[in-house]
Amino acid sequence: MIEIRIHGRGGQGGVTLAKLIATSRFLQGQSVQAFGLYAAERSGAPVQAFCRYSDETITNRNLIYEPDHIIVLDPTLIGAQIAAGLKAGGWILLNSPQPPGDFTEQFPHNRVATVDATSIARANGLGTRSVPIVNTALAGAVGRMLEIPLHEITASLEHLGFVGANLVAASRAYDEVRLVDTPVNTEPFDNVAAAPDTAQGRSILQAAEMAAPAIKTGQWATEQPQRQQMIPPCNHICPAGNNVQGFLKALADEKVDEALEILLRTSPFPSVCGRACPAPCMEKCNRIELDGAVNVRQLERFAGDNGQVDIKPSAERDEKIAIVGSGPAGLTAAWHLARVGYRVKVFESGTEIGGLLRTGIPEFRLPDTVVSNEIDRILGLGVEVETDHVIDRQTLLDLARDNDAVLVATGQQALRDLKLGMNSAVAVAQGIDFLDRVHRQEIRVDDEDVVVIGGGNTAMDAARSALRLGAASVRVVYRRTRKEMPAISEEIDETLEEGIAIDYLTQPMALHEEPTDGIRRHYRLTCRRMALGEPDESGRRSPQEVDGSDFDLSCHRIILALGQSPDVSVFPEGTEVREGTQLLGLLETPVFAVGDLATREGTVAGAIGSGRRSAVHIHNVLSGDHVEITRHADATRDVDIWHDEVIRADAMKLHLFERQAVAAGDALPLEERRCTFDEVHLGLDDTAEAARCLSCGVCNECDLCLTFCPEGLLKRVGHGFEFDYSYCKGCGVCAAECPRNVIVMNHL
Amino acid sequence: MTVQVVTGNHAAGYALSAAGEANRTARGAACGIYPITPQTEIVEYVARFPFSKARIVPVESEHSAMAVSIGASLAGARAFTASSSNGLAYMTENVMVAGYYRLPIVMVAVNRTLGPPWNIWADQGDTLMLRDFAWLQFYCESNQEVLDTTLLAFRLAEDRRILLPVLTCMDAFIVSHTQTETTLPEQALVDSYLPDLQLPHRLRYDEARTIGGMVWPHEDLSQRLEIDEAMKRVPDVYQECRQSFRDVFGRDPGDVIQTDGTDDADTVLVATGTMATTAREVVRKRRAAGEKIGLIKIKMFRPFPAAAIREACGSARRVAVLDRNYAAGSGGVFWQDTRAAFQGHRNDVLIQNYLTGLCGEDVTPSVIDQILADLASREVAGDPVWMGIETGKETLQ
Amino acid sequence: MNATAPLQKSDSCLLRPGNTNCGGCGMSVGLTMLGRALAEANDSCSLVIPACCGIVTAGAFPTTSYGVPTIAATFASSPAVASGYASVRDLNDEPGQVICWAGDGGTYDIGLATLSGAAERNENIIYICYDNEIYGNTGGQRSSATPIGARTTTTPTGKSEAKKNIMAIMTAHGIPYAATLSMAHPEDFSRKLATALSMTGMRFLLMHSPCPTGWKSEPEDTVELVRIAVASGLFPVYEVFDGARYRVTVEPDGSDPAEYFHRQRRFKDEDIDLDATRRSCVDRIHRLRMLAREYPV
Repeated sequence: MIEIRIHGRGGQGGVTLAKLIATSRFLQGQSVQAFGLYAAERSGAPVQAFCRYSDETITNRNLIYEPDHIIVLDPTLIGAQIAAGLKAGGWILLNSPQPPGDFTEQFPHNRVATVDATSIARANGLGTRSVPIVNTALAGAVGRMLEIPLHEITASLEHLGFVGANLVAASRAYDEVRLVDTPVNTEPFDNVAAAPDTAQGRSILQAAEMAAPAIKTGQWATEQPQRQQMIPPCNHICPAGNNVQGFLKALADEKVDEALEILLRTSPFPSVCGRACPAPCMEKCNRIELDGAVNVRQLERFAGDNGQVDIKPSAERDEKIAIVGSGPAGLTAAWHLARVGYRVKVFESGTEIGGLLRTGIPEFRLPDTVVSNEIDRILGLGVEVETDHVIDRQTLLDLARDNDAVLVATGQQALRDLKLGMNSAVAVAQGIDFLDRVHRQEIRVDDEDVVVIGGGNTAMDAARSALRLGAASVRVVYRRTRKEMPAISEEIDETLEEGIAIDYLTQPMALHEEPTDGIRRHYRLTCRRMALGEPDESGRRSPQEVDGSDFDLSCHRIILALGQSPDVSVFPEGTEVREGTQLLGLLETPVFAVGDLATREGTVAGAIGSGRRSAVHIHNVLSGDHVEITRHADATRDVDIWHDEVIRADAMKLHLFERQAVAAGDALPLEERRCTFDEVHLGLDDTAEAARCLSCGVCNECDLCLTFCPEGLLKRVGHGFEFDYSYCKGCGVCAAECPRNVIVMNHL
Repeated sequence: MTVQVVTGNHAAGYALSAAGEANRTARGAACGIYPITPQTEIVEYVARFPFSKARIVPVESEHSAMAVSIGASLAGARAFTASSSNGLAYMTENVMVAGYYRLPIVMVAVNRTLGPPWNIWADQGDTLMLRDFAWLQFYCESNQEVLDTTLLAFRLAEDRRILLPVLTCMDAFIVSHTQTETTLPEQALVDSYLPDLQLPHRLRYDEARTIGGMVWPHEDLSQRLEIDEAMKRVPDVYQECRQSFRDVFGRDPGDVIQTDGTDDADTVLVATGTMATTAREVVRKRRAAGEKIGLIKIKMFRPFPAAAIREACGSARRVAVLDRNYAAGSGGVFWQDTRAAFQGHRNDVLIQNYLTGLCGEDVTPSVIDQILADLASREVAGDPVWMGIETGKETLQ
Repeated sequence: MNATAPLQKSDSCLLRPGNTNCGGCGMSVGLTMLGRALAEANDSCSLVIPACCGIVTAGAFPTTSYGVPTIAATFASSPAVASGYASVRDLNDEPGQVICWAGDGGTYDIGLATLSGAAERNENIIYICYDNEIYGNTGGQRSSATPIGARTTTTPTGKSEAKKNIMAIMTAHGIPYAATLSMAHPEDFSRKLATALSMTGMRFLLMHSPCPTGWKSEPEDTVELVRIAVASGLFPVYEVFDGARYRVTVEPDGSDPAEYFHRQRRFKDEDIDLDATRRSCVDRIHRLRMLAREYPV
């Protein structure tokens, strides 16, 4: 008589495997038995099944304690105890992708066979993902192992009604099973059968508490959950490198100071960016797929305006660093370097520090006091400033000699011009210059018809400023369509709302002076209609002139806002001005370009990002440290997998969130805007909008995993959570219910 | 103490209620009740009793009546109920639970023929159906014995050495509905006889313990063994309870078996319930006429007093076991156990079974005389003898 | 979205680790949520559990997976055992809830008379039915809670009768509180438990409880299946006070129920009449909305 014991898990089909083996022998005329050891086992619990066959009629009705062979259905059950009572020389068949040689030490007195029945079952679609049914594959492997011809196994399968994929699985396993058919140790060996369970003999009359069952259900798991973190799209796109998810989370928890502190780790200008940033984070916000982007810009403003954080340098250092230019890039670098203790001095060519923040963005969008407040915070770290200090090649070399490092952050000072065929210097003002005069309250345009040429924020700002300064009419002329306009979309909307016309696909061609009305000069601007052609190298479709479409605009003032480019004249000819490259190569002192000068990004946020990267770079050069910049929302969290990939909307479970309207914040009424430079946006009243943040790919302690874990096994530990793998059955509910893809299941 | 003319049901209701009331200084009493003829009067009595601390739950079935009592008992209250016949059959699943949970619940059963067809008269088949469920069983022949045994049952069941439920039985109508003088003890005496119930394994609201979950074979075996050990302690503990009963009430509730003239008898009748009353009259009369016959009344059926019966039989060679019940395909249940009591001890006794009083038939003295006549005529024991009905008739083949 | 309840120590929680329930068991989710609600209410309980997966959950004597006193009742008896047990609690002015935790077999079928009796007597207990629509403990046979079309081992070609409306039966008793529980809506779930815990008398709660083994669904889908059932109106989420005043507490969003069936292999396309199902979802919720409008809380 041959006796086989099968070890598996509830739901894997162990009893059926016993029946398959028995049936194959029955069909060959033998007497057989197949049975399970039944109790209250549930899906996944370790279970046993048994099979006997013999040429004689079987009269034994007991369990099998000393089997001839053992079959193990589940790789996680493989352990020395599984072979209790197994006769020396008997086979042990393991469902495992490993070669049998890997197990011969563990089972030295036995012949060992392995087959990757799980893969075979999965490939044939047998069972579910979490519980593949491996019995038919193993039946094939048993055939080969016990020298039962394959056709006898398949006959058994067919006899029991198995068809299709099951037959394929059996014959594949028959072919693929690997055998070590001599035990490594052939010495006589008396394997001791497992001791039978003994009663604890507790009386039902005993009144003490009962302990929990000592069953480590974690051993049932075929999969385990792991904590993962991905990069939220807002964090990934933010030019300043802000931890957007992080400060929104703090705001959602009504921790305004903490939100500001998080922002100040990357940017010293949250109040500025909260007004003037084009907010690419909002364009990439996954919430757009649900009900509209989170209003990150206004929330940053809220944090910047309302948070209170006292930042002091964390150390004192001797190294001196000179920064040329006090725009956002230079000041951001100064901020970060001063925070870690460097002695920083900023040199500004103008009379005020702040660069374009002061002069390039009008009061109604970015009040001067806001800029001053944030600059004061930087200066509060002990940053020194010298204004009216113009740098040329020689003074730059002097700075390099006198300092341990120099950052050049002079921005884009060369303004693009447009040839309009007459002495335009009188008739045409540059937008930046116009805004500077506006800032200094040196100009009014009462009753004038004003034309602004360009499609960026400077154009919008100039047009809107003109409106506020008494213009009779303002129109913007742009040669492409709205879609290509680089200005912040919301600002274009506001420009239109305020009654400014925008002529799209319009190219100014020539300017003509008209007879004066006696009060002011009068011009005629000839324009030509354009049509969009193929995309150019920037990806924008380049405009093509439409023949015969010329028309004239009558006006009193023309403002050009066509963009800027860096002025690199302080560097030797041929210097490659890029972020992170040494500019004056002959010097030992690190000299780096930073901000728009190096990147040409043209945004405050871009300048802040560059300033921060450069500060870190300088620090690493000077100190020998290897500080790295990460886009992960919270790089201190305890997770298992740092997944350096942006999480897309389709990886989010958006259906788990309720729709909620965007909080836009109040704005000045239109009629008031025309006559005042008061700030248009009034900001948000509270932080409620922050709760709309989906926290893509980052745990925000929503605790749904804790709520839904059927076993109640997840535990919050600080700001993270932990699994209890000794009991976790690997059901996957936590992963399925995590709305933000923070939990993933890992195959064991 | 007052003597009143009341029914057996009234006596039982009084005993259950007084016992429940006696636990008012502890966790009180609670039980489920449900009517069935002929025990209804018992639960009616309980329902109108002015308890100080009790809840009587008028449930929707006997099954639930026992379930409520189980819940109450697990919470530490004194619990009891009453039923009969098909009511017991319907209750059976939970009867079993009370035994295996070791709950000292006392139930009064009025023995009535199991149906259908519907028959409300006396037959012990209903309670004997429950004989294997870890319950103690007592069969009573008078209203007073019902009352006394029911009170004693609480003391016995709740003894920490026992902790098993008790069934007190009486014959339908012959006892249950017969009005006769019965001593109803005052509450103060019952209070002094029944101490506050302290169930050691009652559930406490702050204790993590599960009663009745899954159990592995070996562990369950150990629980069954404990029941057997408790059963073996019953005879001794019974005598203690009996003695204190005498001390408190001044009356003997009776031994587990009661004998008449067995000392010198060569023929012994074994009977239960009211059959024993009738048989006793016959035995006394015929002994007065010089016949050496005796009577053993079996009061306690579970645990079965095998040794006591064997001993009481003395030198008798002929034993007639009267059964008001029929285990189909076998014979009378008392006969089976009586016969087994002698196996391996004596093989010189002729033990003959007489099925009598079944389905509510009246067991008169003349029936007893016929039995004695039949027994005297036998050389060897035969199949159980059906009394009062012609056997061997042609029936449908 | 923020169901942040304080978690109990594992050794004092209602459902302890080491229990042998299947992975993804809906009943386990319910027990865990119940334990949390009790902790939040600073309340305790004893459980009375009839024959069902819930009592096997306890594990083998002398251990228990329940961190509270627990009584195994016979299949039809849990409300009656609880009646006796709770009566003694009340006689002695003791704290703690007595909670029957029963499957649909013990509720809709074999125990219905007992449950009805306890409800009619307005026993001071909470009865929670975790409805997995199947005799799960015996390997998946039909019960009167099994929905039409579902294949079970005793309805191999799909059940031809509709699911019994147990809520209608229970509310007809006029009990103080009857409510359905959706584990996919933990706030509503815990609010209803808190409501039930704050009341006295008979409280009946019906929880839709996926059984991955019996429903042949992925364990991880357990909560999602309930969510779809609620969103589509298959499982209406509402509460009824005194059998008279109605409130729908989670409104279905009109999702198609088809997805619910597709995710469970107990349903075969050919056994399901989707149009009839959609109509019945609409009817069901309309009826409840009408009741809630005419007889508001």
